[in-house]
Amino acid sequence: MDLPNFFLADLPPEASLTPHLITEACQALKQNRERFLLSRSTADMVKVLCEVAEGWLQPENRFRRLALEFGPAETGFSAPVLARGLDDFFRQFTPENFNALLEQEFGHVHRLDNFVGPTGAETAPRTALAIGPAFLVHIAAGNLPNPTFMSITLGLLMRSAQLVKCASGAAFLPRLFAHSLYEVDRKLGACLEIAEWRGGNHFLEQALYAETHCVTATGNDETLAAVRAQLPAGVRFLGYGQRVSFGLVTREVLRDESIADVISRAADDVIAWDQNGCLSPHVIYVEERGLVESDKFAELLSVELARREAEAPRGRLTPTEAAAIATRRALHETLAAHRADVKIWQSPGSTAWTVVFEHDVRFQYSCLNRYIFVKPIPDLEIVLQQGLDAVQGKISTVGIAAWPDKTRELARILARHGVTRICPLGRMQNPPLTWRHDGRPALADLVTWTDFETETTNEHQ
Amino acid sequence: MYSELIAFAARLRDLIHTHRFFRAGEVLDDQFDALALELFTLQFQNNPVYGKICAARGLTPETIRHWSDIPAVPTAAFKELDLTSIPASERTAVFHSSGTTGQKNSRHFHHAASLAVYETSLLKWFEPHFGFAGSLLALTPPPAQVPHSSLVHMFDCIRQQYPPDLAQFYGHLGAEAAWELDLARLLLALTAATQSLQPVILLGTAFSFVHLLDELAAQNLRFQLPPGSRVMETGGYKNRSRTLPKAELHALIADRLGLPLTAIACEYGMSELSSQAYDSALSSGSGSIAAAIQRHFQFSPWSRVQIISPETGREVEEGETGLIRIFDLANVFSVASVQTEDLGIRRGEGFELLGRAAAAEPRGCSLNVGELKP
Repeated sequence: MDLPNFFLADLPPEASLTPHLITEACQALKQNRERFLLSRSTADMVKVLCEVAEGWLQPENRFRRLALEFGPAETGFSAPVLARGLDDFFRQFTPENFNALLEQEFGHVHRLDNFVGPTGAETAPRTALAIGPAFLVHIAAGNLPNPTFMSITLGLLMRSAQLVKCASGAAFLPRLFAHSLYEVDRKLGACLEIAEWRGGNHFLEQALYAETHCVTATGNDETLAAVRAQLPAGVRFLGYGQRVSFGLVTREVLRDESIADVISRAADDVIAWDQNGCLSPHVIYVEERGLVESDKFAELLSVELARREAEAPRGRLTPTEAAAIATRRALHETLAAHRADVKIWQSPGSTAWTVVFEHDVRFQYSCLNRYIFVKPIPDLEIVLQQGLDAVQGKISTVGIAAWPDKTRELARILARHGVTRICPLGRMQNPPLTWRHDGRPALADLVTWTDFETETTNEHQ
Repeated sequence: MYSELIAFAARLRDLIHTHRFFRAGEVLDDQFDALALELFTLQFQNNPVYGKICAARGLTPETIRHWSDIPAVPTAAFKELDLTSIPASERTAVFHSSGTTGQKNSRHFHHAASLAVYETSLLKWFEPHFGFAGSLLALTPPPAQVPHSSLVHMFDCIRQQYPPDLAQFYGHLGAEAAWELDLARLLLALTAATQSLQPVILLGTAFSFVHLLDELAAQNLRFQLPPGSRVMETGGYKNRSRTLPKAELHALIADRLGLPLTAIACEYGMSELSSQAYDSALSSGSGSIAAAIQRHFQFSPWSRVQIISPETGREVEEGETGLIRIFDLANVFSVASVQTEDLGIRRGEGFELLGRAAAAEPRGCSLNVGELKP
């Protein structure tokens, strides 16, 4: 793949990073921000971001083509899965959606640009301006590009200089995104750095953390604790820990006229990013006594996954990942031979997809890569009472297939149990631009406010 | 029916005992195949749980033509089901896997006849690798303290080949059932062994050797064990000590005990089996640098190893990675074909052990930073 060396992650593998190199890069980023970013308006940044996204949506776009050509080898996702995931993400980039995000976060689209007065009932003579971090560091985990793309996007909206530290072997798509920004706006690209090293390199990380006042990190609890422990006092830290998600199908939609749509949506959620994200379902809970029974639902889902494998194949796995699937399958197959309440459907001659039907309300961690548990339940209540102990406080998304009234009722109950996102089944891996990651504000957690109080309300603006 | 299984066990013991699995150094494949098919028929009939698994896959004694087609049972199934032909009333012993807290243990049931096969099998494959000369130090608690450990039962069988004063256990159960070493006694025994001219054999788990090495380092002690002395190291760490890379552990053992690296052999076994594999670094006699030693495991001639592609379910080619499957004729009363969760690389008739397939944890948002691709 032929890309110029704009970013640290573009360097050949034999080039080794040094703490000095990291320090220099950070200082250059901050200087570039002063020169190129601070004078830009939010509307200007939105325009650039939308232009970049528009590019990614075009079939002939250079970066899109590189992603689809080399992505399968670099990321382990097949080209159709990559294309679908990237399209769903970049389609969200519209001025309307960005304005909605800004209003949600700050109450006003111009709060990142000017002192803006109160929009609600507040009568005090006061205006306020939100300012993003001067230099933002992102510690990115895994191969899923969207969270990293989103981190970069939010940083640009706030006009922060940014360095993204990717996990080793996971910089491919962030690199392409950075190059696409650079192509549309070189100055903006000069305020962004993408680097890649194996986490735990204390020399590099100390050099990095010494230069910043704000770090975001994605990873499991131990990773986040390790990052946090290294940070100098006074550095703001936003950690996004391990989360799990599940689907929920109520009996009212388990009928002949709606079942095909529900099955298709369930398959969408299992297939998106090969089930490899915090927002992908491990389990789909299906209410019993629908006109289509829960085991029939599992069987229909297996047929749909088999059909989808032809058009959007699961990516290639390492022997270790495949072994996790083979080992789980062997156990469930053995149990299925002895118990009527366990059934298994699986792709013949490959590990491409697996559906396990199991009468046990306890949440089950899947080995992912299209290995889905379907669990029959009398109702949601029993799941809340007996099923979720192992994942309490760690549930991100519940994708629901139900009638609207029922969905609203379920949403209220799930919210009280700490679930931070409820969406229609089929949309689980596709949150809107305004999504509050782990239930936290997307931008408002990052900015610092300046309040401007005056003598009279007349002096506003 | 069941009596045929008992008769098979006796016949197998005789075959193993009299080395009739070899002819001029060759392993007899035809004989193995005939025995395997005969055993499969008996297990299909006498082990109802296994019979059901085979029937569910549409595989019966009528349809199976070669031992390699005989259905394997995953080790995880030993935690969920009673995979045995031994009637409940006749089960006199059970070996458990040492699962982590909160997990179910696997169960491998035994009685006199099955233990007799197990013991014949383990002794006959231990002998060519270690012999029974000199004295024996077992770095585990004695069987009375851990009656459900198949490893300790094995060590005890070996111990019984020695006069009582020359072979002993040097461990005990400590707080929270941790396996601890009787360090003072052990150091005395090592001192005595050093002073004698007789070789000594040490049997222990990786973590028991780490405990010993830490103590030797703390006291700044080094031994020079007599020529011919050997070490059998087995199993993982199970969070019972700090973890060392294998080559480093072996280098430390060699350094502190005064042994060549080739005097150290690894054992690969599990409670679900009745045969073990040893690696061949010991017998190759070549290479004094840890990195030069290729450690390939070899099972006994009455077992066969297949390395199975997790993707396709078929055997992998030479040099490729897959899941280790063992067909163990000595597993007469449970299930002969066992599918492990361990990954290995196929190396000739043996395999190179890579370790347990990773626990299934969600990727993407949840990985250790930098852990995606090593």
